[in-house]
Amino acid sequence: MGKLIEELKQDIQYQHGMNACLNCGICTAVCPAAEVYDYSPREVMNICHQEDEEALIELLKSDKIWYCGQCFSCTPRCPRGNSAARVILALRRLSIRYGYFAESEKGRQQLFAKRVFGENLLKRGLTLLATNITPQNFPELGEFWEYYFEHMKEMREWWGVPMDLENSPGSHRIIPEKDMEELRAIYKATGALELMEAIEKGMEKKLGSKEEVEKYWQTWLETGDSRNYQLKKEKEEDK
Amino acid sequence: MKVARQNIHWENHQKHIPTVEEEGGRVWGCFRSCFLQSAAPYTEGIAYKILKNDLGIDLREAPGHTSCGAIGYHGDVTKLETQMVIAARNFSVAHYELGVDNLFSFCVTSFANYTEMIQLWQEDPQLREYTAKTLKETTGRDFWIPQVCGYPSVVHASDIFYANRHILAAKAKYSLKGIKAVDHIGCHYAKIFPGEVVGGCEFPRVLVGLLEAFGAEIVDYPERRHCCGMGFRNCAFPENRDYTASSVYKKLSSLKETHPDCDLILTNCPGCTVFLDAEQGTIKEVLGVEFNIPVMDYAQLTGLLLGYDPFKDCGFNAKVVPIEPLLDKIGIPYDKSKTPEERRRPF
Ligand code: SF4
Ligand code: SF4
Repeated sequence: MGKLIEELKQDIQYQHGMNACLNCGICTAVCPAAEVYDYSPREVMNICHQEDEEALIELLKSDKIWYCGQCFSCTPRCPRGNSAARVILALRRLSIRYGYFAESEKGRQQLFAKRVFGENLLKRGLTLLATNITPQNFPELGEFWEYYFEHMKEMREWWGVPMDLENSPGSHRIIPEKDMEELRAIYKATGALELMEAIEKGMEKKLGSKEEVEKYWQTWLETGDSRNYQLKKEKEEDK
Repeated sequence: MKVARQNIHWENHQKHIPTVEEEGGRVWGCFRSCFLQSAAPYTEGIAYKILKNDLGIDLREAPGHTSCGAIGYHGDVTKLETQMVIAARNFSVAHYELGVDNLFSFCVTSFANYTEMIQLWQEDPQLREYTAKTLKETTGRDFWIPQVCGYPSVVHASDIFYANRHILAAKAKYSLKGIKAVDHIGCHYAKIFPGEVVGGCEFPRVLVGLLEAFGAEIVDYPERRHCCGMGFRNCAFPENRDYTASSVYKKLSSLKETHPDCDLILTNCPGCTVFLDAEQGTIKEVLGVEFNIPVMDYAQLTGLLLGYDPFKDCGFNAKVVPIEPLLDKIGIPYDKSKTPEERRRPF
């Protein structure tokens, strides 16, 4: 048995998510990602089940594992008690550890996950911040959201949910520094920092340098679409 | 219309959530939602007002509790070990600093995350030991598992509204008589641990029970349990958000075909509350299809019916779908001398 298969089998989410899969396809039938992408949780389960190392590596390098929306709709409906959602969680961590995530377009978006969710947590103790929900990135929230965004502090006071209070249990509060230190210690001790670091490193390896990673990030910040960044290989092909 | 199926054991399972008239139902510790705090802060605002003023609950919340981090977990920047120790820290803070035993969260993903950690600790003593040890080493705090009525668990804020629905309905100034409504249950409320849900994941009672207590007629439609398409990395990164809009389109087309006269969708998940509403705007712009179905969460609806101001208290000024037609239908007054813009822009 291959090394990656062995490692996958050690992951508790894999152990809890994978019994014998009968390939019935119920998970795919109810999956919202299968509806819009070239994606099938049944296929993912099948590849894992076959324990073919090469096929697994190909899967870890592909967009497929990143399509899943983690809704768990597949989970209660599986007649075998499997959870493709949990298997996906294990596959994604394996893909990050080996740098394979950077081989796919959707995988490279992990840089945003790390720099938004991850760094928000480390800086503020909250995964999302009010300032992340910009009208530019969320135009569907509409014109009244734009108004709210311009008057964020006053609007939140008016609604009775003032923000950024210190030493308060309130909404979007400033978490005391001593609690933040505890949180950071937990992130370090449990391997989350290492996982986040692996994302930065994997991106650097794929794009060639730290400067290129910053370019990729800036492109996303400025245009909201990472596809506006051209990989070296794509650039050469254009020439 | 009552929809039920009798052959699955967890559908009969009714977890016990104490009402404010019972021991253990008057003091609750609560965890905020980072999604709501960022994308719909008014919903926690109105929920707080109702829980405190109308139900008289002693709500306790520590300044030092943090996000559960589960958006980062399903967004693949943290590990299961991280989630366990962060959960244990938040539990420890609530119990030892605030003296609470019962806890609820405003976010369904937190609810599922905390439920998962509690169940893992119960099933696997090694994980429990790892968590207690790491918690002590990193924070100096002591391990503690929350309980609701003696059962190791946490509940969701909508569970508390459900448990107290008859008390709330008795206080309501307005009723939903003549209103057709349907629930949209958050996936992470129902589908990860169906056994922790009132009525399980196909026929959950939590929101339907509340709607029925207020007098609404419940409608059913084929895609009722389809995900809203929030999908973590799918809604978070604009280049993936066609996933979200497509899911909303699939659901709402199915609803419109079966029940074109449905007046409202009631939610209990932050993601659904925001995106089922917002993507109706995208769909209108891209496809020219207008659904115009108001979407609101359990606290916003309860607030409206108790007589709270639709805009200042319930936050309907930040929504895409206008609320006024529904207010007129229920008979809830609002300032008609102002234009819709003026009602929504207080400054
Ligand atoms: S529903 Fe379960 S058994 Fe059927 S294909 Fe999916 S994982 Fe396999
Ligand atoms: S969790 Fe992922 S695989 Fe399962 S139904 Fe949702 S999107 Fe599909």
